[in-house]
Amino acid sequence: MLLPVFTLKLRHKISPRMVAVGRYDGTHPCLAAATQAGKVFIHNPHTRSQHFSASRVFQSPLESDVSLLNINQAVSCLTAGVLNPQLGYDTLLVGTQTNLLAYDVYNNSDLFYREVADGANTIVLGILGDISSPLAIIGGNCALQGFDHEGNDLFWTVTGDNVHSLALCDFDGDGKKELLVGSEDFDIRVFKEDEIVAEMTETEIITSLCPMYGSRFGYALSNGTVGVYDKTARYWRIKSKNHAMSIHAFDLNSDGVCELITGWSNGKVDARSDRTGEVIFKDNFSSAIAGVVEGDYRMDGHVELICCSVDGEIRGYLPGTAETRGNLMDTSIEQDLIRELSQKKQNLLLELHNYEENAKAELSSPPNEADGQRGVIPANTKLHTALSVNLGNETQDAHAELCISTSNDTIIRAVLIFAEGIFLGESHVVHPSVHNLSSSIRIPITPPKDVPVDLHLKTFVGYRSSTQFHVFELTRQLPRFSMYALTSPDSAREPLSYVNFVIAERAPRVVIWLNQNFLLPEDTNIQNAPFQVCFTSLRNGGQLYIKIKLSGEITVNTDDIDLAGDIIQSMASSFAIEDLQVEADFPIYFEELRKVLVKVDEYHSMHQKLSADMADNSNLIRSLLVRAEDARLMRDMKTMKNRYMELYDLNKDLINGYKIRCNNHTELLGNLKAVNQAIQRAGRLRVGKPKNQVITACRDAIRSNNTNMLFRIMRVGTASS
Amino acid sequence: MDLNLNRADYLQVGVTSQKTMKLLPASRHRATQKVVIGDHSGVVTCFGMKKGEAVAVFKTLPGQKIARLELGGVLNTPQEKIFIAAGSEIRGFTKRGKQFLSFETNLTESIKAMHISGSDLFLSASYIYNHYCDCKDQHYYLSGDKINDVICLPVERLPRITPVLACQDRVLRVLQGSDVVYEVEVPGPPTVLTLHNGNGGDSGEDLLFGTSDGKLGLIQITPSKPIHKWEIRNEKKRGGVLCVDSFDIVGDGVKDLLVGRDDGMVEVYSFDNANEPVLRFDQALSESVTSVQGGCVGKDGYDEIVLSTYSGWVTGLTTEPVHKESGPGEELKINQDMQNKISCLRSELEHLQYKVLQEREKYQQSSQSSKAKSTVPSFSINDKFTLNKDDASYSLILEVQTAIDNVLIQSDVPIDLLDVDKNSAVVSFSSCDSESNDNFLLATYRCQANTTRLELKIRSIEGQYGTLQAYVTPRIQPKTCQVRQYLIKPLSLHQRTHCIDHDRPVNTLTLTGQFSFAEVHSWVVFCLPEVPEKPPAGECVTFYFQNTFLDTQLESNYRKGEGVFKSDNISTISILKDVLSKEATKRKINLNISYEINEVSVKHTLKLIHPKLEYQLLLAKKVQLIDALKELQVHEGNTNFLIPEYRCILEEADHLQEEYKKQPAHLERLYGMITDLFIDKFKFKGTNVKTKVPLLLEILDSYDQNALIAFFDAA
Repeated sequence: MLLPVFTLKLRHKISPRMVAVGRYDGTHPCLAAATQAGKVFIHNPHTRSQHFSASRVFQSPLESDVSLLNINQAVSCLTAGVLNPQLGYDTLLVGTQTNLLAYDVYNNSDLFYREVADGANTIVLGILGDISSPLAIIGGNCALQGFDHEGNDLFWTVTGDNVHSLALCDFDGDGKKELLVGSEDFDIRVFKEDEIVAEMTETEIITSLCPMYGSRFGYALSNGTVGVYDKTARYWRIKSKNHAMSIHAFDLNSDGVCELITGWSNGKVDARSDRTGEVIFKDNFSSAIAGVVEGDYRMDGHVELICCSVDGEIRGYLPGTAETRGNLMDTSIEQDLIRELSQKKQNLLLELHNYEENAKAELSSPPNEADGQRGVIPANTKLHTALSVNLGNETQDAHAELCISTSNDTIIRAVLIFAEGIFLGESHVVHPSVHNLSSSIRIPITPPKDVPVDLHLKTFVGYRSSTQFHVFELTRQLPRFSMYALTSPDSAREPLSYVNFVIAERAPRVVIWLNQNFLLPEDTNIQNAPFQVCFTSLRNGGQLYIKIKLSGEITVNTDDIDLAGDIIQSMASSFAIEDLQVEADFPIYFEELRKVLVKVDEYHSMHQKLSADMADNSNLIRSLLVRAEDARLMRDMKTMKNRYMELYDLNKDLINGYKIRCNNHTELLGNLKAVNQAIQRAGRLRVGKPKNQVITACRDAIRSNNTNMLFRIMRVGTASS
Repeated sequence: MDLNLNRADYLQVGVTSQKTMKLLPASRHRATQKVVIGDHSGVVTCFGMKKGEAVAVFKTLPGQKIARLELGGVLNTPQEKIFIAAGSEIRGFTKRGKQFLSFETNLTESIKAMHISGSDLFLSASYIYNHYCDCKDQHYYLSGDKINDVICLPVERLPRITPVLACQDRVLRVLQGSDVVYEVEVPGPPTVLTLHNGNGGDSGEDLLFGTSDGKLGLIQITPSKPIHKWEIRNEKKRGGVLCVDSFDIVGDGVKDLLVGRDDGMVEVYSFDNANEPVLRFDQALSESVTSVQGGCVGKDGYDEIVLSTYSGWVTGLTTEPVHKESGPGEELKINQDMQNKISCLRSELEHLQYKVLQEREKYQQSSQSSKAKSTVPSFSINDKFTLNKDDASYSLILEVQTAIDNVLIQSDVPIDLLDVDKNSAVVSFSSCDSESNDNFLLATYRCQANTTRLELKIRSIEGQYGTLQAYVTPRIQPKTCQVRQYLIKPLSLHQRTHCIDHDRPVNTLTLTGQFSFAEVHSWVVFCLPEVPEKPPAGECVTFYFQNTFLDTQLESNYRKGEGVFKSDNISTISILKDVLSKEATKRKINLNISYEINEVSVKHTLKLIHPKLEYQLLLAKKVQLIDALKELQVHEGNTNFLIPEYRCILEEADHLQEEYKKQPAHLERLYGMITDLFIDKFKFKGTNVKTKVPLLLEILDSYDQNALIAFFDAA
């Protein structure tokens, strides 16, 4: 049994995921963590006598070895590490929704203080790809930015949605680190500098990522899932009803391989084997875990695993020695193994017993009502499932439909569908009332996103009076574009927007692709090229045309730029296309984007004006205060009162101004996000190299504020004509 | 001294009932003892441990489910004859496994509890108690509610035979012959009775009881009256008590109390100088502990607690240390033993797997033929659906002999499903179209591997009634599921009690009409929990109930042709009126319902609610302040500048937060009940005041008792 080697109880709260250990003076490891009221505390148990006397840092009144750093803004991310290799000690980096501060704790000075318009949701520090100096990479509103120690942004790119987690990991095994980005659209993207080399779609927002070793990394989702990937393949995952607050890789059992340490919202910490996900150690805190880090906190040459709870409890664990290898829990492994094997044996015996009973029952009389209650059904009962598109009626919207029916007079008591990402929770249940029981059931399904989903069905089959039911388990795949119904072409409604590209595939292959990704009626017969198919979206009634010419030129007409992107990406992966240049035009979308760009400019100038106003007002306050105090000293109470009244009014103005600024800022953020997303979308219309070219070119166009150039790039895919 | 016990699993048999495992007496002090255990397949297994291997002494053939197993014998000799109760039959075995007795009792119900003392046999089925002497019927008693356990005070120490019945209606009934001498009210439905110290303590009259809500107590049963000695309240909200034994495991010369609970908890209490029990040790197992006994099984010289679990594991918690300090050689040997055991198990498994595969194929083939039938393997579910008094919520406990795969919960009444910390299952709520399919709640629990026990907490609303269904799918092949139904009754938050305050102002509802006693009883059963399904003996019966949430009360008194219900809560009467008239119409019985409303009762109920409401409001306010105050504390370093009230909040912060977390939505529930009270008060007057409800909520938001009472009066 592994016991903590030290336990501390700090009287400061710790904000989740904002804990870091750093050697801010080059030798002594100190724990820095964000706490309430926009402060960061630094716990330094090693040098008690040292006092900071500067304005930013002050001694905590609660604890002698804790100093507090005032940020005056809610801290949104925090890390520590070597930013400037010449300094020889670690820098503390603190991000908020508007700024990034690189702070030299030892000298009590700022390395830089940068405004970041996209906010800093998460931060990672390290060397990325071929960029020689360490970068502090922050992930914000669809954007990624990397700063060196002077505050120059050496790295900038966009991603699909708000970034929630970042990690540096040698993903492709070339000895250089790639950047893993987990975002709100459930995707983990891998950036080799600013080129996306891989994308993995998960089922929820990715809240944490951590490198394990080699190309292996751990991840955690907001629905309580944690797991391990090796490159693009998922090794294992588990789901808990609690949330993983923090994950960290640490070799706790001294076997030379890191385990995935997870800190949970219910205060549990567990270590899982990177290969199997098997728990090898666990411990409990009284409150949620805020962070899991590592460091040589006792300065004895051994690195400890340090777990912090939100209530300020900190425990350090030394890795187990070789003797206790693989045996960190209090029960012996053999006992557990015997218990497990015995349980297995019992289950097998039970199954055997079941078959015997079944054989006995078969010999007895033909099926009757009493049998029904015990759940006896004909052995040849089969379950049919069919997926189709239902165009809906007045009472029900159009939807994809799953039809399940039994092959005889047995009834379906209930259907459980376990699938990720398409229901509110992880499951959907259909349980008809007793009067509506029948041998077939139709289940409407409306996936909110165009993703292929595995539907794991559990169907309870029996008779009306049964108290026991047979459970039929089967899995059906819902195709990616199940929310599009095949309709007859109507040229009047053909969308103006289109994408146009050439692929080197024969038409039958395209037909196969269509069959795999759409719910086509069974009698659909698509003739040879050239042909065109027309679909209607069940979500908004929008049209989708796919035309293929003899030359292999494909045109997709749709007003939905995301859909066009999805279709191109889906084709690219199923035909294994590496690079694809696409010509595209989305007049409606581009017009909107143009307006957004105009608005961004407006908000920017508004922002500057408001900031100037605020500066003016603060000068006014100073003078008013001085004059009011003067009046008080002169015992001119009337003037003093007037001055204070004015001050009060001014204060009110300032508060109003602040509110306007806040609104302005959120609007600005929303619009910036739209711009970032537009670049991302334009990229998604292309595959491989052209994709990266588009993103880079668009970025340059935005930097140089060349709107026309931007749209040109989005249309043809390159900047040069 | 710290008690350090190590777990060792011995053997697994079939599913077991409560009190079905015993240790045979040892030949000498601290020598290893044999274990006898009876399971649901009717098999009695007797085994001993030799070198870490379970060696069977004997094993009987399968038969009816064994409900109890006791040891007996001639008084004052070692009690080593084995008696089992299966169905309505009692069988006796010698310690070698030879059957010497088979006694068909001719009881119509199957036997639920048994006690043996010399040649006296005390049996109870659900409602019937029988006393036999040398298998001849001596005495008989019909109980008003279900009998959970039966025991007799030691006849060798007392001059009389005093059987005691533990009945579901929270009462111990002390008998003399066929008559009740007196009844003892206990704090919860008693589930188990044991003699204190195994012999009735110093007086021979000391009786231990455990309840299904987890309480324990000691009562001295004197010839004329009970004397309550002590009681352990279930502060930690642990499971119900299933088995109790006395054994000196600590080794201080005083027998300790061993307790097994239905949530897998095993506890050891020792007694301090004042003879009060003190918790010394506890360990959590993953499933119900059905029997517990102290003794020595694994290795002679080492005392241990032997216990059996629901799925049939016999496990020891032994004082024998796992790692001995005698030298490396010894440890190696232990490991060797383990390795042998494991490899043995593995080969056994392989063999089984092969057999199963064959059978599976056969089963698959049978599905091709059109005549064949496919049966569902039956598995047993151990379930419990009880009302918790503390937070007025129901807890549903499901336990299956093998691991649970998933559970579907469906309800046709609006209820809230609350999270239970102990559960590791992933819950997912599904949307439900309530109009067409009567679904108000659809939720799935997907269990983690090796979960055999699932606990759910449910909050019901009085007046809304229907059925809750649980579809349990275990991880066995072929996959099947079993459905269990639980009734949510109209007055679901009421609990039986035996005494009420007769001075309260009451509202009365009187039913008269052409109905039989059985009919009116069935209505009461329909409306209220904890009422025995069988109509009680006699012509007229009175039951008392208490509302666990508001502490209001209900008295029901009914006979053939008449029923009178009195409550100080007008909402209770209103619900009863609605449900009864609906039920009567359904059965086409002409019913005269008259009621008498006492205006004072409304004010009285509001006054009852007042302290609860005020406490909750204050608590909510305090909890809101905690974070802000803590921030101030961080900023200023000390709290001297705060007013004492705030300082007090800071000091109690953890406690307050815990309290607040414990009772989620408590305030909303109180508001709901006050609203109901308001509507019901005027419903009886014939006015509909639903339009005034928003006004009421406004008053509640800025709560003041007088204003509220005034509003009730004025409207």
